[in-house]
Amino acid sequence: MNGAEGNTPVLEVKNVKKSFGKVEALKEVSFEVHKGDVLGLLGDNGAGKSTLIKIIAGNHRADDGEIFLEGKKVEFSSPAESRAAGIETVYQNSPVCENASVSANFFIGRELCGRFPLFRLLKEGAMQKQTRKVMTDMVINVPSVKTKVGLLSGGQRQAIVLGRFFHWGGKLALLDEPFAALGVAESKNGLRFIKELGSRGLPIVLITHNIEYALQVANKFVILRHGLVAGKGLIAEVTADDLVSMITGAINVNQ
Amino acid sequence: MNRLEAKDVLRWVLDHIVWFILFIVLAVFSLTVKGFAQWDIYRNIFYHAVFVGILAVAEALCIISKEMDLSVESVLGLAAVVTAYLTGTSTDASGLMLNGYLVLGIVVIIGVVIGLFNGFLIINMRISSFIVTLAGYLIFRAVGLILTHGYGVVKLRPELLAVARTNVGPIPVMILIMVGIYAFFFIFLTRTRFGKYIYLVGDNRTASYNAGIRVDRVLLGVFVLSGVLAAFAGWLIAARTNGSSPGIGTGMLFEAMAAVVIGGVSMQGGIGNLTGVFAGAVLLSALSTAVSILGIPPFFMNIFRGGFIIVAVVLDAVISRLRPRLM
Ligand SMILES: Nc1ncnc2c1ncn2[C@@H]1O[C@H](COP(=O)(O)OP(=O)(O)O)[C@@H](O)[C@H]1O
Ligand SMILES: [Mg+2]
Repeated sequence: MNGAEGNTPVLEVKNVKKSFGKVEALKEVSFEVHKGDVLGLLGDNGAGKSTLIKIIAGNHRADDGEIFLEGKKVEFSSPAESRAAGIETVYQNSPVCENASVSANFFIGRELCGRFPLFRLLKEGAMQKQTRKVMTDMVINVPSVKTKVGLLSGGQRQAIVLGRFFHWGGKLALLDEPFAALGVAESKNGLRFIKELGSRGLPIVLITHNIEYALQVANKFVILRHGLVAGKGLIAEVTADDLVSMITGAINVNQ
Repeated sequence: MNRLEAKDVLRWVLDHIVWFILFIVLAVFSLTVKGFAQWDIYRNIFYHAVFVGILAVAEALCIISKEMDLSVESVLGLAAVVTAYLTGTSTDASGLMLNGYLVLGIVVIIGVVIGLFNGFLIINMRISSFIVTLAGYLIFRAVGLILTHGYGVVKLRPELLAVARTNVGPIPVMILIMVGIYAFFFIFLTRTRFGKYIYLVGDNRTASYNAGIRVDRVLLGVFVLSGVLAAFAGWLIAARTNGSSPGIGTGMLFEAMAAVVIGGVSMQGGIGNLTGVFAGAVLLSALSTAVSILGIPPFFMNIFRGGFIIVAVVLDAVISRLRPRLM
């Protein structure tokens, strides 16, 4: 069923293997992410989800297999390289500058400023205005763009990180248990936001324990079990019970 | 509406708390210490604050970037000795009697070289700035002493004396220079991209690096600025004292550190502003002036300094706890 759209996938993971000593974290994993996909990457603890994400992001090197980004083979040897290629990983605690404002964090590394060398004056007003516009547009709720990010909730911070990534033309977002430290209401907001970004065309891989969450926001799923793909397909074609059985190994619909 | 305004006012007061403390202390001294409330005394307080004040700017830059520079005091000492050695007319000087402004150029270059040296060891060799600049603290002072065989040098060239003695109206040029440095670096830190990067790098290095900020360059820039500021302060103090003694500026490192901390710059990195540091430097200077007028033995000074540091840190902790509720 994958590749039915006929165009090149944004991300293609092909026969990736990874062992840590005797532990075979990934025995052989293949899947694709297409434009417009929010892919739920599900699986029990220790199934290999984080390892897979870390290989894509360049934290680990695969022992075997290939990864293609927009059809081109890539081999990232550091997160900095994958980031430069347009992949952002968001963890529970993605680093932000807590004592800096929302707009400073939004424009970090891309500040609007004058040209005078060594003394480039910041265009603070323009940056605040633009940040305010993007926050409104993406429905990210912050008291003010001048608020220090450290005073915001975990969910708001993630939204800023993700919104910033999307706004500046990111290609693929990898979210590893983003809700692990969030309360229910905040997770709901996060889900809404992920859905929003997905509907705007940002391909997202979402790792989560929570099957309900996956059912709500994802359009596709991949299930890992003991380092193998134990199932994949369209969310619309499965029930929560189907997913649970695949995660626990009660049934195996591997194609 | 009213409650909102009260909160805003309170937050503003907390953000500038050191200024309120300064005004209260000055008011109390003026009212209770005989002979304190005079123009001469106030001018002396500011004059006295010039050198520590400039070192405090250097230190603030470093601490905002979450590093530190313990060598500033010795760089000041070295620069003062070099200035006196090259421009002095007494027997232990070089006999060159160079022009004071030419020597300013030399001294600034020394500051740049020391900053690059510190930066190289800290950034490229990945040694902590505490260790590197502690070594610098010992080395740079000693280099100065070797140059003059441990003797003082006196009687500098007239253009240097003029810097120390010229007034603009009632205000000494030295004080204007300090205020100018504060104004320049205040704008630099708050309005320029490089200044903002100093905050961001001190706040969260990973986030800054991820965003493509060249963290190494920012830190190198900070150490070079710190070296140049300290060297410039050394040139000024040589002009002020019309020479240099072996121990010139001893103890200023801790005063500068105290001014920075009292001024609200946090060791956490990424927090603080120069207006607070300025007030901190003036506050310490007012304190030592009051102590000397009252005839309290000078060794009591450090008890007051230490006390203010603790007050400042406790206040900072209280304020950071209050701040989320004042949003
Ligand atoms: N750096 C590592 N060194 C050794 N073993 C690891 C390392 N990272 C993960 N593993 C092992 O690989 C397996 C998969 O882990 P992980 O990818 O974190 O699973 P998940 O994220 O699905 O819970 C686990 O058995 C884990 O103990
Ligand atoms: Mg995991």
